[in-house]
Amino acid sequence: MTKRTRYFVFGSVTVLLVGLCTGLVAYYTGMPMGAFGQSSALSELRYVPADAAVVAYADVRNLMQSDLRKKLHQAMDDEGGEDGQAEFQKETGIDIENDIDRVVAFMEAGTGTEGHTGMIVATGRFDQGRLEALAREHGGLVEDYNGKRLISKGDIGVPQENGTHRSKSMTVAFLDTGVVAVGETAIVKRAIDRQGNGSVTGNAELMALVNDIDDSNAWAVGRFDVLMSQAKLPEGVASQIPAVKLFSASGHINGGLSAVIRAEARDDQAAQNLRDVVQGFVALAKMQSNSHPELQVLLNSLQLTGTGKTVALSFQVPSEVIDTIAAAKKAAEE
Amino acid sequence: MNNRPAPVMPSLATASLRVFDLSLGEMLWSRRTVFLALIVGGPVLIAVILRVVDALNVPAMRVNGVKMGGASIFGLMIWFLFLRFIVPVLGIFYGTSLMADEVEDKTITYLFTRPIPRSAVLVGKYLAYLASTVLIVLPSVMLVFFLVVPIGGGGIAQAFPTLLRDLLLLATGLAVYGALFAAVGAWIKRPVLFGLFFAFGWENFAMALPGYMKRFTVAFYTQSLVPHAMPSDNLLSVLQSVFKDSVPAWQSALTLAGLLVVALALATRAVERREYVLEQ
Repeated sequence: MTKRTRYFVFGSVTVLLVGLCTGLVAYYTGMPMGAFGQSSALSELRYVPADAAVVAYADVRNLMQSDLRKKLHQAMDDEGGEDGQAEFQKETGIDIENDIDRVVAFMEAGTGTEGHTGMIVATGRFDQGRLEALAREHGGLVEDYNGKRLISKGDIGVPQENGTHRSKSMTVAFLDTGVVAVGETAIVKRAIDRQGNGSVTGNAELMALVNDIDDSNAWAVGRFDVLMSQAKLPEGVASQIPAVKLFSASGHINGGLSAVIRAEARDDQAAQNLRDVVQGFVALAKMQSNSHPELQVLLNSLQLTGTGKTVALSFQVPSEVIDTIAAAKKAAEE
Repeated sequence: MNNRPAPVMPSLATASLRVFDLSLGEMLWSRRTVFLALIVGGPVLIAVILRVVDALNVPAMRVNGVKMGGASIFGLMIWFLFLRFIVPVLGIFYGTSLMADEVEDKTITYLFTRPIPRSAVLVGKYLAYLASTVLIVLPSVMLVFFLVVPIGGGGIAQAFPTLLRDLLLLATGLAVYGALFAAVGAWIKRPVLFGLFFAFGWENFAMALPGYMKRFTVAFYTQSLVPHAMPSDNLLSVLQSVFKDSVPAWQSALTLAGLLVVALALATRAVERREYVLEQ
């Protein structure tokens, strides 16, 4: 064997060994992306716990400027939608339309009888002094916690599933410049304590779903099995629900809506069963499209895709369909 | 009087290793290596482009609006680029020429006049083919893996077992296709044409047919080893999934091993018995 052949063999084996060792280290340490990956664009996710049942995001600024929102705004002018927004601004000092850029919300897995609890992290432009003054006017308590400013208000009645109300303390926390968190005091404090450690960014399964979403101005991902296990469904109903582990729903809203609903089943067989069921419903819906010409475009846009454990259903609602529905609603009211 | 003892003929294994040592360098630094480098450099280049496109946030690799994850893209590249194209092509061009090159260069006489079994020449050259292709293809797959899998936030850790399985499968594919086309090269004239027809005509055709015909392909058994690696979003794949008749993994592995042994046995038998006439 010549020297250059030996060098070549050595080089190839080195590449293989380095790759295998890196992969092994990643595999055994659970490194989700490693030095080869990309960092998440949403810094707010570091306040979301790793075991969150649902994580949702909305690009509020984009949604507020969308044609669809303008149409809905016009349609709801007569229904007091404007008043609610003004009232919220008066109470909190936050102008949803102009102050908030984006929102990340999460719902924790329910514990015991408390049901699901969650928190909202909003990014935008917030006048801290004005908000504190408003909070004091309304009996709020301002304090510092772990270097963050908190405005809390206790004894807020939270409705329960059994119809009763539970007393809770709500908090608005200034997490960073232009970042506020709103939620129950205990959850907000846990998020501040967490500061990235044990956050959802370390949950490879959920982050894979989040990173697969692109160009959407609103999305939600979650653990379907956790939600179902806490839904207290009758046994007969629960046994009929497909074996879905994770789900995501994402949409791009402007004039119309284009959305994708994706499910990650427990195994390939469960995914195939789910694809068969959805395919059946899609076929049935398309058969009905002749009697509902206004929905024909929507029904024809239904696309079922996915391989392995993934099932994805995409659809589009063009602005014309929304106009038709709005016109039909108006005609019905008249 | 000459008292020097008659040279002892080395065993098949020793002789094969000597031929392997001689052939590995020849194979690696031949003109064919340029072709080999180009063919395995293609997927690496595609992987780099995909990574750059992803880094620039340009929406790419989407199916009905759903962005494909890095692991899915890697699976597609392994199936379509490596298993269904590169591995058979390397098998055809290297396997069929194991003996043909020596005949063409008129150097086969030097090998056959050595005190070694004739079959050792083929076995040694086959091992050299296997080593050179494995040493070029597998590092290429490794680079593609680390470039493509992180796209869209895919995890190296989760995809690592898939990589191990794919590396093993590619090595198996190279070994089986190489042995098959070595036998073809040893037995028939114009083996390249036959090889191209088999790998890109017959295998695709038979895989889409219902019934047992697909069992006469190598792709059927490699596919059975990784059924989930085969995507199902083109017409041919849909047809293949409709007529799906996969066998258990152990049965596929056993069949591939059997095919490898039979093909090598046939090739060595042909080399042992055939009379090579060098054109003047």
